[in-house]
Amino acid sequence: MLLTSILCVPLVIGLLCLFARPRKLVEFLNIAGFVSVLVLGVKLFKTVVANKGNAVAEWGEFLRADALSTWMVLLIAVVSLATSLYAVRYFRRDLADATVTERRFREFYVLTPLFATGMLLVVLANNLGVMWIAVEGMALSSVLLVALYNRKTSLEAAWKYVMLGGLGLVLALFGTIFTYAAAVGKTGAAMPSFNWSRLLAMAPHLDHHLMTLAFIFVLVGYGTKAGLAPMHTWLPDAHSEAPSPTSAMLSGVSLKIAVYALLRFHILTTACLGTGFSRNLLLGFGLSSMLLAGPFILVQKNLKRMLAYSSLEHVGLICVAVGMNAPLTVFGALLHMGYHALTKPVLFFAAGNIHQQFHTLDFRRIGSGLVRTMPVTAVLLGLAAVAVSGLPPFGLFVSELTVIAGGFTSNYAWVSIVILTSLIIVFCGVLNKLAGLLLGPSDGKHPRETISASNVAAMSLPLGTLLLFTAWLPGSLRQLMEQAASIIRGIP
Amino acid sequence: MNISTPEAASQLITLLASLMLVLQLLLAVQQMLVTNIRIFALQSLLLAAIAGVVGYAYGAWHVYVIALLTILGKVFFLPWRLERLVRQIKIEQEIHPFVNMPASMLICGALTVLAYVVARPITSLERIGSNTLAVAIALLLTGFFLMINRRKAITQVLALLTMENGVMLAAIALTTYGMPLVVEIGIFFDVVVAVMVLGILVFRIRESFASMDVSKLNELKW
Repeated sequence: MLLTSILCVPLVIGLLCLFARPRKLVEFLNIAGFVSVLVLGVKLFKTVVANKGNAVAEWGEFLRADALSTWMVLLIAVVSLATSLYAVRYFRRDLADATVTERRFREFYVLTPLFATGMLLVVLANNLGVMWIAVEGMALSSVLLVALYNRKTSLEAAWKYVMLGGLGLVLALFGTIFTYAAAVGKTGAAMPSFNWSRLLAMAPHLDHHLMTLAFIFVLVGYGTKAGLAPMHTWLPDAHSEAPSPTSAMLSGVSLKIAVYALLRFHILTTACLGTGFSRNLLLGFGLSSMLLAGPFILVQKNLKRMLAYSSLEHVGLICVAVGMNAPLTVFGALLHMGYHALTKPVLFFAAGNIHQQFHTLDFRRIGSGLVRTMPVTAVLLGLAAVAVSGLPPFGLFVSELTVIAGGFTSNYAWVSIVILTSLIIVFCGVLNKLAGLLLGPSDGKHPRETISASNVAAMSLPLGTLLLFTAWLPGSLRQLMEQAASIIRGIP
Repeated sequence: MNISTPEAASQLITLLASLMLVLQLLLAVQQMLVTNIRIFALQSLLLAAIAGVVGYAYGAWHVYVIALLTILGKVFFLPWRLERLVRQIKIEQEIHPFVNMPASMLICGALTVLAYVVARPITSLERIGSNTLAVAIALLLTGFFLMINRRKAITQVLALLTMENGVMLAAIALTTYGMPLVVEIGIFFDVVVAVMVLGILVFRIRESFASMDVSKLNELKW
């Protein structure tokens, strides 16, 4: 009952928070809930590795976790846990400043576990229709989180998010139906199974024409949710207007969940057609996202918007790496997902601290010399920025190098060169902006930050984990990722 | 007419599907908000009728469930909820589209033709009705247009819902029995929750902007 409990824990926590009165209890429930999801996730990880990569299934294969799903479960658990740790001090301060009302505070603690449940269901559902429902559920639970502050700009961001997301999801549903239709009539039953694992088993018999169409619809649909260019326009708005804990979850993990959904269809399409059709499309959209993100980072005036574009860059890189389809690049893509999930939240948490201190995210209005007024936040932000721009000693350096090296060794040298170029642009942009922000003289008008243990812990734990897993990647984790990579590459 | 034979059912479905398209075109030119909502309800009723015909002709009980859910959700509940929202926020009834009526009519006509062209190579995949898939794609495309062409937040929600109707029509056309029941029920609840969430958002936008004109939502740029 492992999978069922992974799904039920956050769901129950969300419902409990609806009724729990004391604020401390609500905060505690969230943290405790995500700790248990992480523990269960690790247990699932051990089971799957012990199973030699065979999937764990429950409810007659309704829920199914193979290596790829397990990896995603771990990412969701880690990011949600970091978020719930950080949210404690963040919302206490917002409540003290009267930036949020009591009602909105509760809304956050109810919707965040539901958001996490949605994401977990996406990766654990075997039925592709149920997966679509979960993606929609995840989108709906996060919309009100984006609009939490009720400012004009956050409402605008939420509206764009829900409308573009809704359009994307309608297209993805169209694609999902096409996929199902491709299986109708190919088996004896009037209504074939809609389970991914069953469809994969009969993939060569699926209707080729319909699968081609289906993948295009799904790519545009889930691609919108993943923020792939040119369907990314909602992304910087939603990620910058949401409260920082939500931004961390949106950027850190929900984009990757949409990529995961896309990957499931990619695997199916490749198995059906036997060509590089879906692979090349992923490569193209990934490259366009990477190339588009750089210039926007260079001219960006708003800290969180800059971080959002950086997420666009990383999602692009993941898609490109999968598109190249070499053992090394796909492994690198999975590694990159993990390292990015550990880094991006820290950046958004630091941005949240800055926002609460200065009440703005505009680089010019914050000025410079943050390291003097907010030493702890500034140092952590600096470290995370070094990590996210792909510098050693942080893991993103390793994963990016893996992808680039994989490209050079597998006839995709030109792609590797494009990746390198866009990474350098982003590197210059991010470090230039942040150096200006962190270093230099301070205007001295703002009080020094007050340091809180939970805040520092929420930010340094993911960074510490990142360093740990960069220096020492456990053999079992590597094994899991290798299994996941072979699932993506369609090698049983 | 005896509709228990698949051929007769197929003809009836073709008729009902084309009526859905007619309603969609009506939606494009109708200027009153509440009438718009009622046209959508009627369109959903036709969708439910199609599901009912399939259920009857093929003796599939689970398609009846789909029909019933559609009637409860999209014919009664959602239109009722949307109309209540319109009353609550006391907005003026008239829709001011960006493109005027004759031009919208022409554009929708062109989009319908385009849908038929697009669907041409795949009509052989239809299992029921003739050109139902083309109608579904036409609903999708004109839904897109309606969404772009409307300023009021509620009308954009309606456009999204008509697109969803198109997708459900495609599901029946391509697979006869629709999707497994668990999926259909899930989609149903998602749509209902989506409209509730959108309702909350529309309400808040109306409060903050003193308007429902989404073209005023233009502060965030790159």
